[in-house]
Amino acid sequence: MERTKLKTVYEPDKFIKMGFFTSWKAMASNLWSSRELIWRLFLRDFNAKYRQSLLGVSWAILNPLITVAIFIFLRKSGIFRIEATALPYPLFALIGISLYGIFATGLSGCANSISGAGSMVVKINFPKISLVIASMGQSIVDFLVRFLVIIALLIIYGIMPKFSIIFLLFAIIPIILFTLAIGLMIALLAGVFRDILHLVPFLTTLFLFLVPALYPAPQSGGLAALNRWNPLSHLIIGSRRIIIGANPFNSDGFILAIILSLLIFLISWRVFFLSETKIAERV
Amino acid sequence: MINDTNIKIDGVSKKYCLSLRQTMAYGIRDVLKNAAGLPSASQMLRKGEFWALDNVYFEVKKGETIGIIGANGSGKTTLLKLLNGIFMPDKGRIEIEGRVGALIELGAGFHPLLTGRENIYVNGAIYGMSKKEIDKQFDAIVNFAEIGDFIDAPVKHYSSGMYVRLGFAVAVHCEPDILLIDEVLAVGDENFQNKCFNKIGELRKKGVTTIFVSHNMHHISAITEHVVLLAKGTSRYFNNTPEAIREYSKTFNQKESTDIEKICSGDKEISFFDVEISKRKLSPGDSFPVIMNYTALEDLPDVEVFASIWKQGETRLYYRASNKAYGRKIDLQKGTHKLKIEINDIPVSGSFARIVIDIYTKNTEKKIFWWRIPVEFDTTPYSTGDNFLKTSFETIP
Repeated sequence: MERTKLKTVYEPDKFIKMGFFTSWKAMASNLWSSRELIWRLFLRDFNAKYRQSLLGVSWAILNPLITVAIFIFLRKSGIFRIEATALPYPLFALIGISLYGIFATGLSGCANSISGAGSMVVKINFPKISLVIASMGQSIVDFLVRFLVIIALLIIYGIMPKFSIIFLLFAIIPIILFTLAIGLMIALLAGVFRDILHLVPFLTTLFLFLVPALYPAPQSGGLAALNRWNPLSHLIIGSRRIIIGANPFNSDGFILAIILSLLIFLISWRVFFLSETKIAERV
Repeated sequence: MINDTNIKIDGVSKKYCLSLRQTMAYGIRDVLKNAAGLPSASQMLRKGEFWALDNVYFEVKKGETIGIIGANGSGKTTLLKLLNGIFMPDKGRIEIEGRVGALIELGAGFHPLLTGRENIYVNGAIYGMSKKEIDKQFDAIVNFAEIGDFIDAPVKHYSSGMYVRLGFAVAVHCEPDILLIDEVLAVGDENFQNKCFNKIGELRKKGVTTIFVSHNMHHISAITEHVVLLAKGTSRYFNNTPEAIREYSKTFNQKESTDIEKICSGDKEISFFDVEISKRKLSPGDSFPVIMNYTALEDLPDVEVFASIWKQGETRLYYRASNKAYGRKIDLQKGTHKLKIEINDIPVSGSFARIVIDIYTKNTEKKIFWWRIPVEFDTTPYSTGDNFLKTSFETIP
């Protein structure tokens, strides 16, 4: 390691004085050097989560299955009127809820990541972004487990998955970036205002109904307009198209949503990086 | 160019704001400004802000041990957090060469459900160690922490001693070039403290620069070479540790009056018109003679004269005894005479004290004189504590 050459300077507005490009480089190297820490923190949360539970990792499958079962019941009983879907409804709903789960589980993980880390945030100097990114890990693992269940279910329903389904693993990257973009801001705010923690469950429930996860995308009406402006909706619709073997890029929305996710992630990352030390003063 | 300066703190200031609401508002404004690429003009004080640290300068050379002392609220923790990069200074510049290890909170980031082994890897990563480095140090960490078979038990089953030992062990084994230590050694038993000090000594020998914050002057004088004394955010650098400790103890006593007070309530029987003392500044072990000139209008047989020493203002009685304790009978005769009282070999060290003389008539019926003299007792180098006793050292072959 280049230990002896390591020189650190702390001064006000350090990253502004550095210049725009140098400061982005500093952000990138800060993130790159935290990869080991991110992995460790993820392992810590992952191991701790299942250590005191009987069913362990099976919860990753049980959780969406229960939600889907509830919606099947609601649909059958007529409480919710959901239009006919191209895929069998249980499969359709499972795919939707699995994709949406990346956002929902990820966001609540991010919200707790800094406020729940306790005194280490104000006592130890380490890249705080690693706490937020590591907290996303859970939602990714959940999705990977559900991905296998989806494939199994496709086969059970007699729909042979095409090889292109593997691209789904790339299609979730913009969903992760979108979640991180909002998650980083929420993590910062929740570090200072604990109120945010109470709001996040409402936010994820509201979004569940705003995005076409459990129902097909409506073609007209207020919800359709909302969906048109919601990048998450386009990302979920696009990803679902990949599963059924269709080309997701035939809608402009999907491409724009990917670009938008990347863009807001970069902005959010920068704001987080610049305010990290200011938050430490106020937690 | 040879430059063996390890840490350079150049005119560093840090401001705080007491009102939480204002802090938030300022914080959001600063973040937005920075995000837009504008400087935050942090060198200016805004409404409600004050300097918690004001223009602090000092340098630490490689391998030196610096103590940081100061009363509560003098900015010690703020300074340490700045050095650790937890937050940025609002003015000035800090330059640090090498990896910083911080013994600020031991075991922060431990997860209670995970085993000691798992927590070592997590905690090590938080301190910036790679898996390879942790693997290399793993046995040393477990040995130092003395947790034995508990290494594979969840840390929630650890005793609090094991918990801090493991926290300390991980933090010191990250091979820092600079070690920041905050009051953490106050936890743990005597045995653990000694072990920690030995480990710190070992690291110092290897050339690790150490910055040590403590309220315990015994620890400060035991391990530091130079001292930075903080008072209300300003700093003073002392090359000599005992001198710094002396200054530090003064800050507690500064507000006290140094005036000699005298109350003579003897009505008309007696008046003390003059009292002679030779000095007001004493070294431990000095004697303190007082000569009192009085005029008595009548004989006052068998009076009782008390001499006492109060430390820390008048809150703590250090010594009080009258002539009767020494089997001396005192009769004050009519006319103008002198009375000499001498306290011998006073072992008080490093503090302000008040010597009080009071005189009562026979059978302590009536107080006729009361006199208070503030004095200052010097610190002896290489010693701490309230007393400095005569101790002999002999090697016996």
